[in-house]
Amino acid sequence: MIKNVDPRTKLASVICISTLAIIFQNPLILMAVLFAGVFLAKIFGANLLMLIKRIRHILFLFIVIIFIQSLFVKTGTVLIGFENIRILTSEGLIRGIGYLMRILIILISGAILSTCDMRKLIQGLIQMKLPYDIAFMTSLGIKFLPLFVEEIKDTMIAIQLRGIDINQLSLRERLEIVSYLFTPIIAGTLNKSKKLSLSVECRGFRAYDRRTSITKLKMSFTDYLMISSSLLFSVGLIMIDKILV
Amino acid sequence: MNGFIVVETMYLSLNHIPILKNINLSLDRHQFVSVVGPNGSGKTTLGKAITGIIKHNQGHIYLNDKNISLLSLAEIGRTIGYLFQNPEKQIFAPKVIEELSFALKYKKVDQKIIEEKTIEMLHLFDLYHLKDATTFFLSQGEKQRLAIASVLLNEPEYLILDEPTTGLDIKRRKELSQLIDKLKTKTGILSISHDKEFINRHSERIITMKDGCIIDDKKC
Repeated sequence: MIKNVDPRTKLASVICISTLAIIFQNPLILMAVLFAGVFLAKIFGANLLMLIKRIRHILFLFIVIIFIQSLFVKTGTVLIGFENIRILTSEGLIRGIGYLMRILIILISGAILSTCDMRKLIQGLIQMKLPYDIAFMTSLGIKFLPLFVEEIKDTMIAIQLRGIDINQLSLRERLEIVSYLFTPIIAGTLNKSKKLSLSVECRGFRAYDRRTSITKLKMSFTDYLMISSSLLFSVGLIMIDKILV
Repeated sequence: MNGFIVVETMYLSLNHIPILKNINLSLDRHQFVSVVGPNGSGKTTLGKAITGIIKHNQGHIYLNDKNISLLSLAEIGRTIGYLFQNPEKQIFAPKVIEELSFALKYKKVDQKIIEEKTIEMLHLFDLYHLKDATTFFLSQGEKQRLAIASVLLNEPEYLILDEPTTGLDIKRRKELSQLIDKLKTKTGILSISHDKEFINRHSERIITMKDGCIIDDKKC
């Protein structure tokens, strides 16, 4: 694990692997990108076990989407079918696997970014000449995400404490319950945003055009090396893909 | 220990920080108990542990002789009514009337009975004029009254009230006190509060907490 990596380095690596995940179709190349993502996550100290734990409940959803996606591809050798009806083809399966790889790469990218200190990440964006207002909004957006999760958890607890066993409800009633989750989230977000905007205005936000910052990021040799490696890896894979095509 | 709620040598830690230490407690069904203590002494956590919102690490909590670790939140919620410190945490329906009728609707109670009970609560908590209002636009005091009314509509056998008088004006505090006088005869109440007047008026027993421990437990 490499410590004290500049957030801009992590951002550059994430941009590389997520862009590659979108442009490639070949599952073998996508697998190489996935391995690169896992390697990067490891050296940046991302907790992949935690990621697996978090997504285990929705894994079945990915598998269903992959299966549905593969059903609509009719080219390739028939793997499952009845007489003239093609249910699953080799091409469909390959596309489905490719889709799964892309999802995993995007999730790993998120795990890499989650290792960044958010304040430093925003400072990185500012030093990359991103306007402060937009950088500040990004940081707020990131801070609001765990609040949404908290709000959903609280609402589910409040619903169950009224004696409602969600597992015993019909599908229609469960969907109705889901609709109840939105009110506290929307109301809570609006309320918090309003209070927050008042608070920052009171503290003189945007009072002056120029801002100074106590935090200054500085790239080290390792950072430059990692950014160049990521770029070289990306260019290399693009060339291999072109040769394979 | 005998009691409607029994807590035996309970320990609770959050993020490896001990919050509650060696809690032993027995709560009766027809008693008003106040939990007092400074901020961060573990009062709210104790209430949440008894309700099963936060899981304890060691020891046992029994509700009506049943270990709460074996009960779902819904099963606990049918017996215990819990009022959150912040009413916004428990209001989830877009309209006041919907918030009140929510639990009864999903318990398949007859629509006529739901209407009768809801209107009774609306009058009792001076919320009738707000019955079609959006919960989001209510004031803090109105939200608090709505949260209490929603909990009571569930007809719990035991009530845990976390800071019930917060956000209420003098008139509403008096009305809440009158309502608690009526409730005390049929429901046990555990109140977590800093409101001395409220505590002195209702408490039959006062539990004092400090640094996650019960340091005093006296009958009034």
